[in-house]
Amino acid sequence: MSTRLALSLAGASLWHRRRVLALVCLTLTLSVTLLLGIQYLRTEVKESFTSTVSDTDLIIGARSGQLNLLLYTVFHLGDPTNNIRWSTFQELEADERIDWLIPISLGDSYRGSRVIGTNDNFLERFQYGRGRSLQLAQGRWFDGVFDVVLGANVADKFNHGVGDSIVLSHGGGRTSFSNHDDTPFHVTGILESTGTPVDQAVYISLSGMEAMHVGWESGVAIPGRTLTPEAAEQRDFTPSAITAAFAGLERKILTFQVQRELNQNTSEPLSAILPGVALSELWRLMRQFERALIGITGFVVVISLLGLAAVLLTLQAQRSHEIAVLRAIGASPGLVGLLYVIEAVALALVACILALLIGAVAVMALAPWLQASYGLQIQIRPLSGVEWGLLASVPVAALLVALIPAIRTWWQSRSLGLGEVAEP
Amino acid sequence: MANTTTSSDLSEQHPIRAMATADLSYRWSPEQPPLTFPDLSLPLGQHLFLRGASGSGKSTLLSLLSGMLTPHTGTVRILGSQLDRLGAGQRDRFRANHIGVIFQQFNLVPYLTAEANVTLPCRLSAQRREATDPEPIHEAHRLLTALAIPQDCWHRKVTQLSIGQQQRIAAARALIGGPSLILADEPTSALDSDNRDRFLDLLLTLAEARNTSVVFVSHDRALAQHFDHQVELEGAAS
Repeated sequence: MSTRLALSLAGASLWHRRRVLALVCLTLTLSVTLLLGIQYLRTEVKESFTSTVSDTDLIIGARSGQLNLLLYTVFHLGDPTNNIRWSTFQELEADERIDWLIPISLGDSYRGSRVIGTNDNFLERFQYGRGRSLQLAQGRWFDGVFDVVLGANVADKFNHGVGDSIVLSHGGGRTSFSNHDDTPFHVTGILESTGTPVDQAVYISLSGMEAMHVGWESGVAIPGRTLTPEAAEQRDFTPSAITAAFAGLERKILTFQVQRELNQNTSEPLSAILPGVALSELWRLMRQFERALIGITGFVVVISLLGLAAVLLTLQAQRSHEIAVLRAIGASPGLVGLLYVIEAVALALVACILALLIGAVAVMALAPWLQASYGLQIQIRPLSGVEWGLLASVPVAALLVALIPAIRTWWQSRSLGLGEVAEP
Repeated sequence: MANTTTSSDLSEQHPIRAMATADLSYRWSPEQPPLTFPDLSLPLGQHLFLRGASGSGKSTLLSLLSGMLTPHTGTVRILGSQLDRLGAGQRDRFRANHIGVIFQQFNLVPYLTAEANVTLPCRLSAQRREATDPEPIHEAHRLLTALAIPQDCWHRKVTQLSIGQQQRIAAARALIGGPSLILADEPTSALDSDNRDRFLDLLLTLAEARNTSVVFVSHDRALAQHFDHQVELEGAAS
C-alpha cells in the first residue's frame, strides 16, 4: 500500500514541479540522446566502413602487407608495390574455383582523382554496403578505347556531364605536369553516388590505359610516337600487367584455400587478402578515438545526472514542510526517501523514452541526407545489447543519485520532532 | 516546575486514557540540562489546553506524545500503549492509526488538492480507512462541508486557498477516520480572532462527535475557557 501511495504522491509531486523539472529532464534527454546517438552512429559508420567492399572474397595484388594492398586498391591511398603479370591474371581467370575477377590498373590521375583501368566486370560485379551494386546515374558504361566513366564526386566537383572531353594526367598527384594531351577521353557515363571511394575515381578500359601510354615508355611522351585516337581504334591493346584484381569465388568455403595457394604462388609473388578482415583491422586503428568519443559522451550524461542531484537537493530544502506533514501523519522515513528515488527514476525513464523517440525521428529524418552526402546508410534497427545496457544505466544512475537526498531526508527524519523542519 | 490548574479529574476514571505521561524528560544534547514535563493524564474524549511561553518545551512535548521523539526518562502512554517501548516503525504506524496532527501553518501537501490532503491519513492507515463510512472520500466531503469549505475549493490546489481555509482543511485531515487523539500545535496563531473562535468551535464540536481527545497547545490564554483541562508549562530547564 505504501508503495502505491509513494507512486501516486511522487506522480503528483513531479507534476507540481513540472516547470523546473522539465528543464532537468530536457538536459538529461539531450545527453541520453547524444550518448545513444553516438553509440548508434559509431556502429553504423563501422558497418558502412567495413562494407566499403562487399561480396568480394579476395583482393589479389603483388606481394605486400594486407593494409597496404587494401589502401591502394580500395581507398586509392598510397602506391602499389608492384604489378601482376597479365599471364598470371589469365591463369586466375582459368581457375575454376574463381567465379569472377575485376582487374584494376592504377597509375594515372585526373585532377587528383585516381584513374582506374578496369573492365565491364567492375560495373557488374563490384558491390558495396549491404550488397548494393553500382548504378549509372547518367549515360552508359565505357565501350570504346577512349571512353571514360566518372565517379559521382568527380563529376560533381568538376561539373562534368556526359559528352565532355577530358585529358588525363600521367602519374598520381594533384598537379601533374605531364598530361596525356594527345589522347583526350570522352565521358560516356557518371556513376550514382555510393559514399565509398568509388565516387572519387574515374574509370577507363584496360585498353584505354594501354593506348594512352603508347609512346610513354620512357616515362614522358616522345613526340611522334604517341597515338592519335583514330590510330588507336585500329590496334589491339592487351595489357602486359595490371595492378590488382578483386575476385569472387564459386564457393565461399574455398576462400582460405585459394588465399593460401595464392600467397604461396611460386611463379609470381602475390598477396591475397580478405577485404572484410583487412577493413576490420583498419577500423581498429580508430578504436582509441572511438573510446574517447564514448568517454566524453559518458561524462555528459554524468554531468546531467549531477545536475539532477543538485536540483533534487535544492528542491529538498523547499520540501521540508511537506516532509514534516507526511511524517506527522505517520509516513515512515523510508516512504519519504522512496519519494525521491521514485521521482528521479521516473525522470530518467521519461528522459530515456524521449531520447529514443528523438533518436528514431532523427535517424529517419537524416538518413536520406547522410546517404546522399556521406554515403552513410543508416536505418532504424532494434537496439543492440550494448545500447540497451547504456540506456538502462541511466535510470540506475539516477537511482544512485537520488539516494543522496533520500538518505539525507531519511536520516534527518529520524531525529526531527513533530512539525520540525530540516535545516537546508 | 509545572503548575497544574485543572479540576481534579485528571486522575484515573477510565481504565484507558487518551494519554498519560509519567516522569517525562527529554535532552536535546548531552551538554544541556534535560527538559522535564509535568505528569499528564487525559480521559478519552476530553480535551486539554497546554499553555506555555516559547522555549517552555511545548513542541518537544508534542513530539514525545506523537512518538516522533522518545523520552530521555519516563513513559508516554497513548490509549494504553507505551510509546517509548515501541520501535521507530511501530511508532510511525501507531501515529498513522491513532493520532491526528495540526500545525501552526504549512499543514498541507502543496501538490495535492484539498480533498486529497484530507483523505491522506486513510491511505497510510487501513484502520482509519475502515473507520470511514462508507469510503474516505464521503467522510472527507462531510468534514469539508462541516468545516465550511466551499465545494468549489475541494478540487483546487491547497496553495490557492486562504490560511483560514488551509487550517480548517488540516483539521478535517486530523479528524478523518476518527483518531483517538489530535495534537494541535498553535493551529490558530495565524488566524484573526473571528476565524480563531470559529476554528476552535468547529474542531472541538467535531472531535466530541467522534469521541476524539484534543491536546491544544497555545500561548493564548483566551482560548483556555473552551477546555476541560488546562496545564501550564513554565520553563525550559529545571
